[in-house]
Amino acid sequence: MIPFFPPDLFADERQALLDLAYEIGTDATQRFILGERTARLEMALRDLLGATDVIACGSGTMALTMILHAVGVGPGDEVVVPAFGCAPLAATVANLGATPVFADVDRDTMVVDPDAVQSLITERTRALLPAHMFSVLADMPRLRYIATRYGIGLVEDSAVAQGGLLQGRPAGLWGDAGLYSFVQVKTFGTVGEGGVVVTSDAQLGRTIRMLRNHGQDGVTRFLHHRVGYNSRFDELLAGFQLRRLPTLGDRLARRAAIGAYYTDRFATLRDGEIQTPPAGTEGRCFYVYNLLAQRRDELRAHLRDRGVDTHLYYPMPLPRQPAFARYAQIGADWPNAESASRRSLALPVYPHLTDAEVEHIADAVCAFARVRQGATR
Amino acid sequence: MSGSAVPAALPPTVPFFSQTATFRALWPQVAGALAAIVDHGKYSHGPAVATFEEALAGWTGARYALGVSSGTDALVLLLRAAGLQPGDEVLVPAFSFVATATSIVLAGGRPRFCDIDPMTYALDPAGAARAVTSGTRMVMPAHLFCQMADMAGIAELARRYNLILVEDSAEAIGMRWGGVHAGLLGAGGVLSFFPTKTLGAIGDAGAVITNDRRVAETVEALRHHGRVGRTLDYFPGIANASVLCGMNAKMDDIQAAVLTAKLTRLPDDIAHRARLAQAYTDGLAGVSGVLRLPTLAARPVATEAVYYVYLVEVADRDGLVQHLARAGVGTEVYYPVPLHLQPCFADLGHRPGDFPNAEAACARAVALPMYADLTFDEVDAVCTAIRRFYRTDGRR
Repeated sequence: MIPFFPPDLFADERQALLDLAYEIGTDATQRFILGERTARLEMALRDLLGATDVIACGSGTMALTMILHAVGVGPGDEVVVPAFGCAPLAATVANLGATPVFADVDRDTMVVDPDAVQSLITERTRALLPAHMFSVLADMPRLRYIATRYGIGLVEDSAVAQGGLLQGRPAGLWGDAGLYSFVQVKTFGTVGEGGVVVTSDAQLGRTIRMLRNHGQDGVTRFLHHRVGYNSRFDELLAGFQLRRLPTLGDRLARRAAIGAYYTDRFATLRDGEIQTPPAGTEGRCFYVYNLLAQRRDELRAHLRDRGVDTHLYYPMPLPRQPAFARYAQIGADWPNAESASRRSLALPVYPHLTDAEVEHIADAVCAFARVRQGATR
Repeated sequence: MSGSAVPAALPPTVPFFSQTATFRALWPQVAGALAAIVDHGKYSHGPAVATFEEALAGWTGARYALGVSSGTDALVLLLRAAGLQPGDEVLVPAFSFVATATSIVLAGGRPRFCDIDPMTYALDPAGAARAVTSGTRMVMPAHLFCQMADMAGIAELARRYNLILVEDSAEAIGMRWGGVHAGLLGAGGVLSFFPTKTLGAIGDAGAVITNDRRVAETVEALRHHGRVGRTLDYFPGIANASVLCGMNAKMDDIQAAVLTAKLTRLPDDIAHRARLAQAYTDGLAGVSGVLRLPTLAARPVATEAVYYVYLVEVADRDGLVQHLARAGVGTEVYYPVPLHLQPCFADLGHRPGDFPNAEAACARAVALPMYADLTFDEVDAVCTAIRRFYRTDGRR
């Protein structure tokens, strides 16, 4: 079976990880959290992106929470979020005492629909929270225009999009702030939970630096200016990421090449049965390669029989989930989110897939479509 | 033989904290566990976390031990799981690490500060009773440094005012009250595995411990985005629907592996800490500037103390801290500013004088080096440096 969540992501780095753990465990400085390695990682990413500040923290979810907190989201506020996506889009907003307002997504790309977003803005709207989905960046130029026109915050959930560029600007730097998740399966995944906030706003960066370590200013210990979080970064992870950063570009290129190969192979299948993400690399980042299939569950079983594991992102739109239903606008519906939940199927696209595995996966998808086409003729 | 002169009095270098010797000794076990993690390929919320949770439950006697990202996140999860509702007040000591109070805000509630018992530095039940209002729903004592709060008095307070009792037992691994581990006397407690803790990781980590199945199940969902169903060591569980507005508070498997290894030495470490504490107490007895040494309170039940921190109250605390730093001795001031006077709680409107015991502790307390790697010679060196400071300064 070709796994969807590969267990051997870091198998080649086993000894390096052990050496690093020993070095940090026995280092005379005994600095384990937010030390010199973390600072170096933040600077390296800042320079790579051309960001004003990069702040390492405990997870992508906590990064999102702290950005929302820093832009002032609190009780009584509304934040417009996609109806289709990962739980933190709604939960982070709700946990700050604010109300997530769900906007439908584009039927084909599954990123939030800017027209839907704009139609939901009210006097209580404090911020917009679009998310990049799978391999497609949201329409940030339009969302930036809308946020600026209404004078509200734009928080960019770029958790999955590290490496993506739109009009030459990195994912994460279109919003007031953005973030990358480092959970192991992400494009810059690591050996534990972590993430970064990225921003061009120096003041926002300073606020988030305080929020991540109990509201302290980094100068005076045990003086707490704000109610903050414990969302820090371990030196072990920083050391590992510094080691992996020089090869990130290669891995991103490999992901993009696999994605392009799939899209090319599946181009002839576009008869409505199986729909691929758009071709090209502008505004793209191949974290997940997601198909839309009419007979999604049959395709999934077909692939499983041929040794290809897949994953369903996301089987239920956010406003349908028990945790978030109470926030759903009464009488509203999200037909494209519903459709995506029924049709979406993700194929393996991680960089250490062999060419033979990639071909096998593509062959298996094509075989399903041919069988279907044969059956209807 | 070299004829070069050796400096007569190299200052002793006693860091405030180090675990290098412990880590080296445990390395074969840790290395094996880390290799197994790489081979298995799940780096958070994986099998090493499950192994640690089982060992921790066994060690503490908790029915449920849940590994999470930090002690702070553990507090937020515990408060929510124990039933904190938006706007609810929680009685907490005005003297503690800030997370004792900020966790309440992060969980949607409001801290209601109370003064401490000057001997144990923990919530004083009599003061807490005076702070109860109609909006008070919980009481959360913090067990600091070497001993637990007056849990008999606090349990009585909770009964009288119908408050839910949870414990900030972040520092209290190994402490017991009538045989019951800290954190297990009410709805639940937490543990912090910040590296300097009695049981410390090499990064941030924490746990919730409880005997209450409902609390445990809620924490389990909340720590993984409010998802129900299988998620531990099961990546596809990210497709499970959220039933609660959760967080990401998953524990890293590498930290769990280090903690599992260190847990095997914990009883020995705790015994060594007790002997070090006795050496400090012997070495500092009768020193004029030392105003208070750790003193264990007499309790109606058998208790077990653990010297996580050896905290003394001294005259000219800041002068002593500088003197020790020059002598190569690391210290920490736990805590320089009481919670009710922190800028982040300015909106509660407190003033200096509101909680005099907490304020006095902040002015005089300092923590001396105390860890499993510490030697008796190092304790002697610290005591000598302290005695020298108070002897040479005529003001005292």
